[in-house]
Amino acid sequence: MTKWNKNIYRTLIIGSFVGLVILIVFGISQTLSYLNTGADRSSMLRVVIDKTPVYVPKIIWEDTINPGRPIEKQTQLDIQKDYLNAWYVKQVAFQTHNTKGIEDYYTASARKNIERLLDANAKEDIRIESTTINHHLFLDFYSADGQLVVLSDKNVKEYQRIYKQDQFLIETQHESDYQVMLLLEDGYWRVRHMVKEKSHPRQDTIKVKPMMFAAGKKIFVDQNEYQIKGINYYPQKTPWDMFGDGFDLDIIAKDFDIIKGEGLNTIRIFIQYEDFGKAFVKAEKLLKLKQVLDTAETKGIKVIITLFDFYGDYSVLDWTLTHRHAEQITSAFKNHKAILAWDIKNEPNLDFKNRGKQNVMAWLQEMAIQIKKYDPNHLVTIGWSDIESVSLLQDHLDIVSFHYYQDIDDFSELYKNISDQIDKPMVLQEFGLSSNRGFWSPFGASQKKQAEYHHSFQSLIKNQNIHYLSWTLYDFENVPSSVSGKFPWRKHKQKHFGFIDHKGNTKEAFEYISN
Amino acid sequence: MQYRKKHSILCMSVLILGSLGFGSIWEVALKDDITLLTPKKIYSAGEKVTLDFTGIPSENAVLLINSSYGQTVVTSENENFEIPDFITQKKGNIHYTLITETQKIVEGDMYIKANPDTTIQLESYVGPPSIIAGKRDFTMHVVVPTDHYDNPLVDSTSVTLKHQFLDNEKENVVLSKDMIAWENIFSYEASGRLLIFSQIENVSSKEFSVDVFSDLPVDFKIESKRKHSYADGNQIVEFETSILKDQYDNIISDGTLVQFIIKDSKQSFLRTQGSTIKGKAIGKILHPDHEESWKVEAFVSGIAKSNTLEINFKPVLEDFTVQYSGNNREITVGPLLSFMDQLIPDGTRITLALKHNDKEETLVKTTSHGKAKFVLRPEFYPSKKYEIEVKALGIKKILKEVKLK
Repeated sequence: MTKWNKNIYRTLIIGSFVGLVILIVFGISQTLSYLNTGADRSSMLRVVIDKTPVYVPKIIWEDTINPGRPIEKQTQLDIQKDYLNAWYVKQVAFQTHNTKGIEDYYTASARKNIERLLDANAKEDIRIESTTINHHLFLDFYSADGQLVVLSDKNVKEYQRIYKQDQFLIETQHESDYQVMLLLEDGYWRVRHMVKEKSHPRQDTIKVKPMMFAAGKKIFVDQNEYQIKGINYYPQKTPWDMFGDGFDLDIIAKDFDIIKGEGLNTIRIFIQYEDFGKAFVKAEKLLKLKQVLDTAETKGIKVIITLFDFYGDYSVLDWTLTHRHAEQITSAFKNHKAILAWDIKNEPNLDFKNRGKQNVMAWLQEMAIQIKKYDPNHLVTIGWSDIESVSLLQDHLDIVSFHYYQDIDDFSELYKNISDQIDKPMVLQEFGLSSNRGFWSPFGASQKKQAEYHHSFQSLIKNQNIHYLSWTLYDFENVPSSVSGKFPWRKHKQKHFGFIDHKGNTKEAFEYISN
Repeated sequence: MQYRKKHSILCMSVLILGSLGFGSIWEVALKDDITLLTPKKIYSAGEKVTLDFTGIPSENAVLLINSSYGQTVVTSENENFEIPDFITQKKGNIHYTLITETQKIVEGDMYIKANPDTTIQLESYVGPPSIIAGKRDFTMHVVVPTDHYDNPLVDSTSVTLKHQFLDNEKENVVLSKDMIAWENIFSYEASGRLLIFSQIENVSSKEFSVDVFSDLPVDFKIESKRKHSYADGNQIVEFETSILKDQYDNIISDGTLVQFIIKDSKQSFLRTQGSTIKGKAIGKILHPDHEESWKVEAFVSGIAKSNTLEINFKPVLEDFTVQYSGNNREITVGPLLSFMDQLIPDGTRITLALKHNDKEETLVKTTSHGKAKFVLRPEFYPSKKYEIEVKALGIKKILKEVKLK
């Protein structure tokens, strides 16, 4: 017995000794590696500065012919880059009262003007969130020695939101003409003089005969009235990741056959902002989207594309990046016959609380204008999460869309009341019931109940002749946490909204997928 | 009466506004009962600007100012908004928006123009700082006339641009456009220094200078200078160019590199170089140590060349003695006597080649007091018959079948 104890003590002592040594060695190595960080030699040179563009307003060189000297392409790009940076650092400074970067992009005399304004604003605690949306540059003069340029920047579309003592004052938009002189100093093109020549009310004039348009409460496609009978669509294996590695056009084509076979004519699909490459949209993603749209066109299905899925930063300084994202996608497909509408964002009203209603609304409004600018052919909408929100921004949209997951018994009356106040086509963009009765949800709806729900909803829809898209074709096996949260009972619910179950068998509700 | 007064002020302001006819001005009064009592729309920089409203419904009204360099918010005193000087001192459009409780009430524009009555500054940029003579190259003189508050003066301001070069003093009156007044100054035929400055009325800028360098050199001549014409391998021959000039007779810039290429009688090349000072370049090279004939030509690479110069070197000696002693193992060459029978300068190279069958070895010595002595030690050169060849200053002596004991 004592021998046993002795052995136990021995092991304990040796074990703790070994443990202690491991700890000490680990500690020393951590300290050493900490001391070695941050001393990267390449950081001594300016070349390694992270050059991810953060400010990309639409910039157009209207004219570079000038009496001084012909401009070289490279210089033109350098000037453009530094000039935009000058705008950006100024915007950051007015938002944060921090003059970082100002000295790089403004000469000493020009800097003074900004600093005086900033000091005054800081004293009164005035903060200005601002951005510019487009620039039209005319090169007025480029000197023989390549050290001085004068630019005219016309119709600069500016957006500003002003706060005083953190109280929101107002948001404004206007267009201005600037004349700017820049000097090449220390390798930077720095602003020397900046004069705002004119300010005029903003004009957004786009008049094209569109392929699709809305008149009164009706939607027209190629001059014919169009009734949306649709469904929200993700392939069964790749929900919320339709254009990822699991992309399979054959599966999608088969699904389209099922949808068309049941008498539906429209689908709604989603594009994730980051997945598509943010401000620099990936060509391979556009190609996949094109394949889907081409397939839809051959099968006779129209597509509503929801943009900016999983996007959550609506800050003014982020605007130009999202504008480039939208520009690249919408302009690529502006003539595509399969697209019915661009849905700017899924349920943005749910971000009002966290991101500020003002931020979200201003972003959406400008985005509607941007998308219309690059693609005047297709309709623009926003998928609000509840029927009460449909009146928001309705003047900027062609059709208004809402989702309905409340009590089915209240629907008719709510719809009728709100529909009377709206003079645009209303689209019931999502509705459905999860047949999630099971371990995680003992009181959830059964498949039968789901079928009843769709049955009665379809008769309501038919009565009032409503544009609809139900949620969704398939039950899913995996739902990402970013969609419905981490809790298994939430995920479980999200998995069972489909008309077709995991095994590919039709559920009872399938009978009522359309009317 | 009160009513009429107000009425007439309104009428007047409408009249003044209309007569101004300034294209960019627009004003939106969103509420009828608010009036701007300040009809003036264009101010000079530095002038005090107060916007005076009546009928503002709220005491919390603020004025948002949008100017060339940024935005700020101004609060009022009795409906009078005094625009801060850092705004009114800067040229450009000012867009103002009257706000109460996040509502736009009135918005409008005014314009601050540069103030030419203040001290004018002439900000000048001249470049490139050096150009080439000959009327083809030019430098650009750009002037940004600004007022005391650093605002570029209005377009069509007349600026006198002046320059001086040798006996020329010229001036040119230019109207500014796009903030700047500018001209190109082309070089004259002569090289020298161009002085440049500008003037507006009584205000003058600093003086700027641009160097005008000569154009590219044209073909030139060379000549040689040497102490004597003997190939003693000791003296130095100098090649000197004529003064290098461009086509307008300007001496080319100091430091221009001239290459002298020498072709000898064996068609091999020797090279020396010199850079110009006051147009002349000198290249130096050692005399050959044997009879030789050189053809010399000089180049400014890719640009200009000289005539070809031919110079000949006479041999310094016709023969020399070779003495054998100590079993033929000590060979004394010399004394070597130069062209006037003086001893050849120390350090003249003498080679001795030993040949036996196909084997050969060359020994080299330099002279001292006109002589050189070769000692062939038996450890290295066993007793045999050798063929010995002695060479000095281009003279060769062959001694066959010399027996070393």
